[in-house]
Amino acid sequence: MPRWIASGSDEEAALLRELGIPNTDALFADVPRRLRVGRMGLGPGHTEAEVVAAVDKILDRNRPLHRFASFLGGPVAVRYVPAAVDAILSRSEFYTSYTPYQPEASQGMLQALFEFQSLWVELTGMDLANASLYDGATAIGEAALFCRRLHDGDRFLIPESLPWEQKSVLTNYLAGTNGRVEEIPFDRRTGRLDLAWLREAVGRPGVFGALVDLPNGFGVLDEGLPSVKELLGPIPLAVSADPLALSVLEPPGAWGADVVVGEGQSFGTPPSAGGPLLGLFACRREHERMAPGRIVGLTRDAEGRRAFTLTLQTREQHIRRSRATSNICTNQSLLAVAFAAYAALVGPRGLAELARSLAEKARTLATALGAVDGLEAPKFDAPYLSEFTVGLRRGTVAEFLDRLRRKRVLGGVPLGDPRPGAARPGEWYLTSPHELTTDREIQKYARAARASLPASGGGTSR
Amino acid sequence: MTFRQARWDEPLLFERPSSDDPTTPAPEVPGIPERLRRRSPPAWPELTELEVVRHFTRLSQMNFGIDTSSYPLGSCTMKYNPKVSEVLARRRAATELHPYQPEETLQGSLEIFWRLERALAKVTGLPEVSLQAAAGAHGEYSALLMVRAYFRDRGELARRTEVILPDTAHGTNPASAAMAGFVLREIPSKEGCVDPAALRAAVSDRTAAFMLTNPNTAGLFEPDIQEIAELVHGVGGMLYYDGANLNAILGVTSPGRMGFDVAHLNLHKTFATPHGGGGPGAGALAAGEALAPYLPVPRVVKRGRQFTLDYDRPKSIGKIKTAYGNFGLDLRAYAFILAHGEEGLRHIAHRSVLNANYLGKRLGRFLPRPFRPLVKHEFLLSGAPLRDRGVRTLDLAKRLLDEGVHAPTIYFPSLVEEALMIEFPETETKHDLDEFERAFERAVTDSAEHLRAAPRSLAVARVDEVQAARNPVLSWKDLRAAAAKLETAASDAARP
Repeated sequence: MPRWIASGSDEEAALLRELGIPNTDALFADVPRRLRVGRMGLGPGHTEAEVVAAVDKILDRNRPLHRFASFLGGPVAVRYVPAAVDAILSRSEFYTSYTPYQPEASQGMLQALFEFQSLWVELTGMDLANASLYDGATAIGEAALFCRRLHDGDRFLIPESLPWEQKSVLTNYLAGTNGRVEEIPFDRRTGRLDLAWLREAVGRPGVFGALVDLPNGFGVLDEGLPSVKELLGPIPLAVSADPLALSVLEPPGAWGADVVVGEGQSFGTPPSAGGPLLGLFACRREHERMAPGRIVGLTRDAEGRRAFTLTLQTREQHIRRSRATSNICTNQSLLAVAFAAYAALVGPRGLAELARSLAEKARTLATALGAVDGLEAPKFDAPYLSEFTVGLRRGTVAEFLDRLRRKRVLGGVPLGDPRPGAARPGEWYLTSPHELTTDREIQKYARAARASLPASGGGTSR
Repeated sequence: MTFRQARWDEPLLFERPSSDDPTTPAPEVPGIPERLRRRSPPAWPELTELEVVRHFTRLSQMNFGIDTSSYPLGSCTMKYNPKVSEVLARRRAATELHPYQPEETLQGSLEIFWRLERALAKVTGLPEVSLQAAAGAHGEYSALLMVRAYFRDRGELARRTEVILPDTAHGTNPASAAMAGFVLREIPSKEGCVDPAALRAAVSDRTAAFMLTNPNTAGLFEPDIQEIAELVHGVGGMLYYDGANLNAILGVTSPGRMGFDVAHLNLHKTFATPHGGGGPGAGALAAGEALAPYLPVPRVVKRGRQFTLDYDRPKSIGKIKTAYGNFGLDLRAYAFILAHGEEGLRHIAHRSVLNANYLGKRLGRFLPRPFRPLVKHEFLLSGAPLRDRGVRTLDLAKRLLDEGVHAPTIYFPSLVEEALMIEFPETETKHDLDEFERAFERAVTDSAEHLRAAPRSLAVARVDEVQAARNPVLSWKDLRAAAAKLETAASDAARP
């Protein structure tokens, strides 16, 4: 076992002597005998070298993305993380610190979080941001609860195209309220929101908020979104948006959003099999006391110098307890620092360049896959940025993606709820090129796709 | 100890000059409809890599971490974060993985999840574990949704509306219970522990759950835990274990053995994953037989030699976050458990409890200790006597920072006046404890004037938190607006 526990029998003896007890068992005299556990069955400890060998051996059973031509995206992005981001995060003054309860001892983390908040404010066009939530899906849940604090009602409108896991998380965030979700259908040709339906739905009382997403769950950039707030009137509008997309899109704050959330992992954090991720949250000034989570503010110290501190804490669980705006305590601060470092290193121009490059690759990919008989790529006749939906005319997504995998192509992320018996929109999946995707890989994907679809005319191989 | 923190007048990123050439046209991004196209780029400067690295390095020098200082925040279990875990979590085979790549290509990660779950089941004495929760409070909330689903299935949800809590509960407990739609009943403690009489008066067929931390936030092991479990189960309620303080009982007792039905664990406390200045955390959920079917999907299962994500759990509450768990942290926690093994984990409990009792006895010379002296992982002091000298616990905490140690948790739990809650986990040596004692003695015996003027050795002096809340400046945008207002005011004043 490595020397992580303070030890040395002399040292321990001195501590015991001070307490006048023969051994540490005496310190557990208050734990009733009946409750003691014998062996847990965990086995012996290991040296550091053994731990490394054992963990590496297990990790060897993973096949990381670079072994494939990979086109995975959706809720978790595969994006290069500049070495400088990790160098900054590796400063152990950052990563081994706790929530900055003592501002004087934590100015570095507080300023970094203030900068993170400022960046999300710039991207969204909102007035203020919090210091992070768990991930994009829970941020949607918090946005729904936030809307409910602003407006009475029992229905929260969401796009039918919203990814299934975001729907499931959201439903769970509303489970303790009388609120339920109602789905705004999408136009079957364009994948865009059915605004006529929305107009009719908000005409009926009881809607406490509506969510739209940009790009939406199909990868579509819905140009109808700037009209949504007009339809909603006083009903709060929540927007879930991708930070890279926002670097080139008109900020939702400019078209009436009351709260903007998102998933920030793509800025400086590797996908790591799905976590940790980064929840983003921004809102308007008049609602600052309704916001969930930690917020860093700028103030002065006793000598009049600029200083940062956690603020508006009377919203929070450690003060307000059952009347807090959220139960969140631990958030994703270190990933917020990664976000800030990434945004600063890449810069606004670099982000726009990246968006352009991904959009161009996505178009090349759509052209290549669109030429494959049996695929609809893109499925929807609508603008998109860096990812889009592919529809299968024959066979199932599960079989098709599995066949692609055998040809070392990870073709995309299936859309639809994997739980048995769940309704699925269709045999569709989302595909996303990465910044390292080459034309060769795109051609390889198209070839593999041709070879992986069931023959036309024949029955599907269900 | 003489200590001076770095003091950089480090401007915001936004305040640096940009190296951008504004005459260069913005990149043309194809596919964006005119209505959605951004009119002006987001407003932060283009910087060189060195500028950015230097900026954040300077910021880091104005921050305490476990690696620089003892960090005795009670209930936060700020133990050493082993470096080997950082190395392992950065392996390409651990980072360059998409959660929705095919399971055949993700066997290593699934195996880590599965092994960690099995280990935590053994630690908690509860058979089923899910790693999906992102943090402790997230685990609490999810567990209460499981409790809801359980009572709904039994047709009792309309009646089971109450969650009972002791007044020593962490703030997240009532917040999570309220979010989950329950009515809260807080019961007063007696001598820092649950008063069985008060609990008996509170439980009824309306009780959905009783939430408890054991050892509790006063650092005390609840002596009546068996009776508590009987009372709650007697009315058909569920007993919830808040695992924030699990460190003290590793291998000694377990939530399962104590009669709890469901538990959350904070992997970033007990299992040493770094807390990152506020997060990420990782909140495992462990459930007994009654509630296990309701755990979030997917569940990691082993079929033959293959690991797979199982979505076929009809009673499950569904999903509580994107993907499965915080793999990067779960990997670190697994490495931690593997290194310690059975004996090592038990040693953690013994040593952390030894540290707390030793330091509690030593510091009891300076300030009163409420409740009985035998504590588990942490102990309380009351700073109430300081008031005679016109100072408060807050001043003492700030003065401690000048000694190069982090302050304890203060003003919690609220049942102790001017509370200080101190936790020195097992990774702190006797030398560290004695250093802290000397620092504490210097601080507590210092003049009232010095205490009120503290801190003086840090990047900033006492921060005006009242002003921060009264006049919120929450972003660069606010700061710019405030500066513009000041300028307008100044030019108005200059006008004749």
